[in-house]
Amino acid sequence: MASASATYEIKNEHGEVINTSTGLSNKKLLMWAFLGSDVMFFGSFIATFLVYRNRSLVGPYPADILEIPITSVSTFVLLMSSLAMVLALAYVQQGRRKLGAFWIFSVVVLGAIFLMFQVYEFNHFAHLGLTPRTNLFGTTFFILTGLHGAHVTLGVLWLMFLGFGSIKGTLRADNAIDLELAGLYWHFVDIVWIVIFTVIYLISARDGAPSGSIPWVPGAH
Amino acid sequence: MSNLWNKLLYHDGRGWWDLPRTQWQDPNPQMEGPFGDGIIPIKKTWDFITAAGYHHGTPLFYVVVGVILSVITIVEVWAFNWLFLGGLLIPLMLVLSLGKFVLVVGFFMHLKFDRKYYAWIFTACMVIGIGIFVALLLLLNYGGQVQQ
Repeated sequence: MASASATYEIKNEHGEVINTSTGLSNKKLLMWAFLGSDVMFFGSFIATFLVYRNRSLVGPYPADILEIPITSVSTFVLLMSSLAMVLALAYVQQGRRKLGAFWIFSVVVLGAIFLMFQVYEFNHFAHLGLTPRTNLFGTTFFILTGLHGAHVTLGVLWLMFLGFGSIKGTLRADNAIDLELAGLYWHFVDIVWIVIFTVIYLISARDGAPSGSIPWVPGAH
Repeated sequence: MSNLWNKLLYHDGRGWWDLPRTQWQDPNPQMEGPFGDGIIPIKKTWDFITAAGYHHGTPLFYVVVGVILSVITIVEVWAFNWLFLGGLLIPLMLVLSLGKFVLVVGFFMHLKFDRKYYAWIFTACMVIGIGIFVALLLLLNYGGQVQQ
């Protein structure tokens, strides 16, 4: 008779026996549950951005400062980092450690480039007079993109450790699940950016001063 | 002698009273459809690049997905400058964004190849997340308190 404490023994792709109460990999289940909670986390901030869209009373407004070409390049960089991530996992699972390490460090480099774009953008906006305290757009924009940037930073650090692990031989085909978890996290960060890029940059980029608010004049802050 | 006997009483190795086979008895032709067996090479190519039967795709397959993602991003940025789209811009952007989302989650995150249980967990959380999203939008747009 099955009881609540019954456990199953499953074998992973390398034939190792794993004890689990669900028949699924515990590590992977935990990661998917975490990503599910992060969906709700980011969902709230994206909704908040949309709720306060076009409600700023002073500038700068999105149409005054957002630069689509630059952000498009950083979006492309992050998408390519996702491709590098999935290639890294495929090669590590095949036991090709050097190729795996190459692609892991490619992800690290591309992630760092994305962060540099974000630092440049934040710095540029601050010089133009947009800070988290300036208006509702500034508050919701910096919190949402800043939290995403924090996730990317954590992912870069995590992958750096795994990259060194791959070189040293501690990350191998038989424990590639550790890289798979980092990969799930990284791809999630990528899909959050896909939504942010669409909502903030493509949909809201033409939002100017709403009626009744003060039009923004460059250099007047 | 046995040949003569067979030729006299049987044809094609079957008895005289063996009725012709109907289309219902015949096995289904492979890949029956509007394109006949023309679809087979396409399916073989698809199986080759997705490594069908294995739990993950091949590197070549992931590169193809990466190229598609890049093309969608280029189309998004290109369409952003089409002023004639007017009110259609937002639905178009949402559809393109959804396409990228599905490609990354389905193939890069391996949900297409992995156990369905993970997909259920993620989908359930997505539904709750979208619920929070819609509730916030409705509450703050029609609540009337936060307008000012």
